[in-house]
Amino acid sequence: MLKIKNLRCCYGKIAVVHTVSLSVRQGELISIIGANGAGKSTLLAAVCGLLKSWSGEIEFKGLPLNGMSAPAIVRQGISMVPEGRQIFSPLSVMDNLKMGAYTRFRKEGKSRVAEDLDRVVQMFPILKERSAQLAGTLSGGEQQMLAIGRALMARPTLLVLDEPSMGLAPKIVEMIFSTIQDLSHSGVTILLVEQNARAALKISDRGYVLETGKMVLQGSADELLVDDDVKRAYLGKDYGDFLDERNQ
Amino acid sequence: MSEQINKTVDMDDNDKTQRQLERLQATLNRACKNVPFHRNRIREAGLSDITGLEDIEKLPFMDRTHLATHYPYGLFAVPLRDIVRIHTAPGSGTSPSISGYTKTDLMIWKKMVAGAYAEANVTDRDIILVHLPPGLANWARDYKDGGEAVGASVIPNSPLSVAKTLMVLRDYKVTTLVTTPVFARHLTAHMFDRECHPNALNLKQIILVGEPDDGRTISELRDSLHVDVWLNYGLSEIPGPAIAHECRYHDGLHINDDHILPEIIDPATGVPLPTGEKGELVLTTLSARAFPLIRFRTGDMATLISQVCPCGATSTRIQWLAEQADNYMLISGIRVSQAQVRENLKIALKMPALGCTMKRSCRSGEDILLIALIMDEHLFSDEIKNLQQLIAHAEETLTEQNGIKVKLRLTQQRA
Repeated sequence: MLKIKNLRCCYGKIAVVHTVSLSVRQGELISIIGANGAGKSTLLAAVCGLLKSWSGEIEFKGLPLNGMSAPAIVRQGISMVPEGRQIFSPLSVMDNLKMGAYTRFRKEGKSRVAEDLDRVVQMFPILKERSAQLAGTLSGGEQQMLAIGRALMARPTLLVLDEPSMGLAPKIVEMIFSTIQDLSHSGVTILLVEQNARAALKISDRGYVLETGKMVLQGSADELLVDDDVKRAYLGKDYGDFLDERNQ
Repeated sequence: MSEQINKTVDMDDNDKTQRQLERLQATLNRACKNVPFHRNRIREAGLSDITGLEDIEKLPFMDRTHLATHYPYGLFAVPLRDIVRIHTAPGSGTSPSISGYTKTDLMIWKKMVAGAYAEANVTDRDIILVHLPPGLANWARDYKDGGEAVGASVIPNSPLSVAKTLMVLRDYKVTTLVTTPVFARHLTAHMFDRECHPNALNLKQIILVGEPDDGRTISELRDSLHVDVWLNYGLSEIPGPAIAHECRYHDGLHINDDHILPEIIDPATGVPLPTGEKGELVLTTLSARAFPLIRFRTGDMATLISQVCPCGATSTRIQWLAEQADNYMLISGIRVSQAQVRENLKIALKMPALGCTMKRSCRSGEDILLIALIMDEHLFSDEIKNLQQLIAHAEETLTEQNGIKVKLRLTQQRA
């Protein structure tokens, strides 16, 4: 479904992602894990059309995304739940959800959007209770649900989530991951970027480990869960002691 | 397990190429980062990035001498604390070859061996007997692990005589035997000598490892024992068995190309050869964590088969040929360097130079290395006892060094 080949992303002259290849097949839940600054969010920004300075190939359902704007990419079926939620704080919860359907509202009409709205509030009943409340007044977990709900309003075939566990209490994180797993079981293809490697891999089919802009590992989730390299990438621990140890 | 195998089979060519590229890039990134040997060589090759599978041709080859040079842990790509198994094999230099495995490596090997078992119709209702020579002890462990992953009952490798093996086969109702061609032949001969009819056994399949088909062993075993015979390909030193296995059509061996990328090269020039041409098999690991191999020259001759297998699997197939690309001899699946044996023999006999010829010979069901040593004045002793002691010492030393039995025979200098 999504095929990335030799992706290079730069901020000015500084390359942040170096020749990365990755693929997501229909129905899969894929995790990209790595420490801070590994290039995970940059990679997602390139996929979603939020970053212009990239080279390589990104193909979605056989269609190259090069040069495509973010709204056009949403129309193709990729929807993003951004890092830090990025909800529209001054708007109500309901308006936030409606904003998620912005790209299809004119084309598909009110009734289809209303159907989806029902579906989303059934999935997250708390959003119905808070529908008139300003989004900025929601708790962290509720905001995350809102961000996911808003992304689902675009009826994505690929849902991209950037650090959904960020800043949330462990109990809430568990609930969010369980929701992501339910979404995956309902047939949505998911690309998940996470620092919480263990939690992400537990619900994933496959995973990729990004380290300082380079892909260093990939494999099925069960393989990666027992891999010591994964723990190091997650902790951002370096291999400094590695050579000394080997030469002893 | 079966789900994993099916996913691989269902992938189309495009998916496979993408997956191989992803894995190759990650392997090179890990190798470059963690192994100075790989880092320096890739830098010397002037290669900054691999952007397609065809770029692999720009990378330098690895061979067995590199394993010896970087003894013991110089080629490990993970810290030692991540290693959970260390395996030693006789090397081509003065040092043995050492390879390591992380937990993930062992998990992947288990899946690969289980896949080979599944192709050979081994299920949880089977009883597997693993009978391999000591030099292939590492494979024996992997075949045990893979068998257990399938859910079969496994009788692990133990040094049994042929008579005892036959007893175990018969009494324990073994359905699957994993062994070398030479032992399978010997076992069959022993059975017929003892007038033991194949119907007295429950044996359904034999998985042969270590050597390619010599053109008659497989068909003879099929005809005489009325069993299915499946050939598996592996490397005795690294990384393990079941790199390639036969499917039900028995037309070449399917390489696990999700984990190992094969190439065929001209052994003399190192130039990659087109599909269908005979050459040396070169392997690159795509998922090995602890011990990545990058363009490793196996010394085995093979051809790539271009036609799609009727079984539907899209994995690359090879025809494994009964010849060697280098000066190695394949004895019971163990690769023996003639040059190295000669050097070790000189040390064992304390002789500056010696003349000898080597050949493979079969003694009581196992292949041995038979060395015909030319008698000269350095070696000669007027006390036959001293000479016998010296020869026995040399045999013992070489046997230990090579992991196969070595016999020395003294011959006369030819005029």
